[in-house]
Amino acid sequence: MPAGLMERAAPGRIPALADLDRMRAERTERLRAAMGEQGLDAIVLLGNTNVVYATGATWPLGDPGRANFEQPVAVVLADDEWPHLFSPLPDEPALPADHVHGPVYLDLDEGVREFERRLGELVAPGATIGVDEWTFAMAREGSRLFAHGPPRDAGKVVNKCKLRKTPDELACLREALRITEEGIAAVQAGLEPGIRQVELTATFLATVFEAGADANTLDPIWQVMPPTLGEGPWTTHGDLACPLLTTERELRRGDVLWVDTSVTYQGFHSDFGRTWIVGDEPTARQRAQFRLWQEIVEAVLEVTRAGATHSELTAAARTVAGDRVPWMAHFYLGHGLGIDAAEMPYVGSDLGEQFDATHTLEDGMVLVLEPLVWDDGAAGYRAEEVVAITEDGWEPMTDYPYDPF
Amino acid sequence: MSGTLTTEVLPDEAALRRERRSRALAEMEADGIDVLVLGREGNARYVAGVPRLWTAGSRPFTPGCVLVRSTGDVHLLSTWDEGVPDDIPHEHLYGITFNPMNMVEVLRGVAGAATAARVGTDSLTPMFAQLLPAAFPAAEIVDGDAAVRRARRTKTPAEVDELRASVAVTERCLRAAEQRLAAGVTERELAAAFMGEMARAGVTTPSTQDVARITSRKHPWARAERDTLAAGDLVVLSGGVVRGGYTGELARTHAVGGGHGGLFDRLEQLRGALLAACRPGATGTDLLRAYRAAGIDPPPVPIARGLGLGFDVPIIAADLPDTAAGERLDPGVVFALTSYVWEPGLGAAITTDAVHVTEDGPELLGSSGPSSNEVTR
Repeated sequence: MPAGLMERAAPGRIPALADLDRMRAERTERLRAAMGEQGLDAIVLLGNTNVVYATGATWPLGDPGRANFEQPVAVVLADDEWPHLFSPLPDEPALPADHVHGPVYLDLDEGVREFERRLGELVAPGATIGVDEWTFAMAREGSRLFAHGPPRDAGKVVNKCKLRKTPDELACLREALRITEEGIAAVQAGLEPGIRQVELTATFLATVFEAGADANTLDPIWQVMPPTLGEGPWTTHGDLACPLLTTERELRRGDVLWVDTSVTYQGFHSDFGRTWIVGDEPTARQRAQFRLWQEIVEAVLEVTRAGATHSELTAAARTVAGDRVPWMAHFYLGHGLGIDAAEMPYVGSDLGEQFDATHTLEDGMVLVLEPLVWDDGAAGYRAEEVVAITEDGWEPMTDYPYDPF
Repeated sequence: MSGTLTTEVLPDEAALRRERRSRALAEMEADGIDVLVLGREGNARYVAGVPRLWTAGSRPFTPGCVLVRSTGDVHLLSTWDEGVPDDIPHEHLYGITFNPMNMVEVLRGVAGAATAARVGTDSLTPMFAQLLPAAFPAAEIVDGDAAVRRARRTKTPAEVDELRASVAVTERCLRAAEQRLAAGVTERELAAAFMGEMARAGVTTPSTQDVARITSRKHPWARAERDTLAAGDLVVLSGGVVRGGYTGELARTHAVGGGHGGLFDRLEQLRGALLAACRPGATGTDLLRAYRAAGIDPPPVPIARGLGLGFDVPIIAADLPDTAAGERLDPGVVFALTSYVWEPGLGAAITTDAVHVTEDGPELLGSSGPSSNEVTR
């Protein structure tokens, strides 16, 4: 493991248990402040994770297609300390009874007409309303939403608010990570030649649900990496193909597995990444890959603190890694984690060097670092490291070991 | 289940892809749409036939798949060609991007983008509403969802077979959860049993993850305020899987420690009446009427909703009477049909069946066994 990473004391500012009411109230406060800056009287949120953020309501997220008939919708008003929730779910949200409403159907014209009627009871005529996304039924029937032309972007408002996590949010996130790692430990204990990828998924899913996950949020990845790039699928950029889908493929001794999973707890997404060798110890060459990966992580963490530009992190990684950019060309060196599985900040993405040079880390952000070392001919090493950004550096969010390395 | 193992990521069958794509093109023609830009995964799967990474929860619109009417060309967001059929050549694949301007460049590169007059999307975000005109300078951005919805509304025989296979996996998973069901067990342990069985059956993607619910004795559409099963509880097991892109969903109710026969009888009567109403040519109103005729208040959620690639019509709910009146149950329509009864002091009993409307009447995709049972453990 990176020297010193797990030896740091557990972050003192993160409570053992989150105060969910306080967490929700602080978010609404932030949203209303951001709405004020934007001159928005109300925002209407359809995106599942935006609704989770705005209302504190959580439910086991389903297939994306389900959202269109099972879609909780949030309305946040600039002059109300409580958000409104329109929901088909059987769960009781921790909101006043007059802020909880039955479901709405925004994919259907009749459903939008009914929503407009209910919205009219909440907002004054002529109010400036933002939305995060819209359906064509909304465009046809949403006279309040489209009163001033295309609605303003409420998604941006939410994105800005959720950048910096409160201590309660960090506590939820840490629990999501703990649950994930309980599932991962069960999988790793049963990893042996002859087992099938889907059997790893079976163990993972059964364990995380029993351990307290609200939902699994990523079809778990147990990708067998080919020794060379050329043996993998064709890609648009000529770089690695990852993540590739899990099948009933049988694993063989010596297979190099790149692992990636995510679950939710109280609306927070976890993220987990490691490299495993099936039924074998790493070779000397593989150990060297891991050592280089450690050096990259150490170099990046050395410059990681509130105020650091994204470029400082990418430069640190590249200085150690040599010629090859040490992260996936279609992703990034690091990404934010929270209510979404990947959210701002994106460090080293195709948003570009100018973006990285002008954006900085902030206290309370959570960053997942996912550099990799590719060693053509002997596959490579990839793992993910989750840290919370502080004024003077960072704090580890997890301490899962790197076995068999 | 065929019993064979799937060890490669493959595109959907060629015949299935061809049929679906030609239906989509025909509906584009009907609406005068030159280019379809699809964000919803089910729509992209329908048109492209490519399995992509599953993640839970809704996603904001992003151009994930493009269909050009004049050429039938498909352009697909996929950084690699695994699972991509030959009819989508490498030069029509575009990679994951976090930079919307790079996405605009991709769309600009679609042959016909510069001259398209009508571009349909299946939803929009404020950002893409601003950006799409840069990629399609001559186009009006119009509703593309209506066209895809019509194409997907009735299923081809091959699609019905896919749905039948998905329902079979769901039944197997529900049985695994049922076997765990007993006083003292928690809702999440039942979800764990469902999910583990699903993956062992070769499917790693659920459609819903809210598998077990102890129903409330106080409120008609609520969960009990505890998650450990006790004698006397009415527990709904509702599950679904996404297999080959197609959703199979079912629900059954169990009485822990037995009893509640009267409520189950009412549920079974309602279920019979609802199924009988699923005649070809009937409308959604007939289903709502079956509830009323039985003297039962429908739940505050859809009593019927299309099964297919994630979201399909019909959607029939008591809150949407006009929509119900306009939803004709044509042969080839497949939906999840929910029977629901609730009694104060007892709780709710719910059954969801997967119904395929045929010329001869409703066909259950799945076993026609009892919708509920008593668990004496």
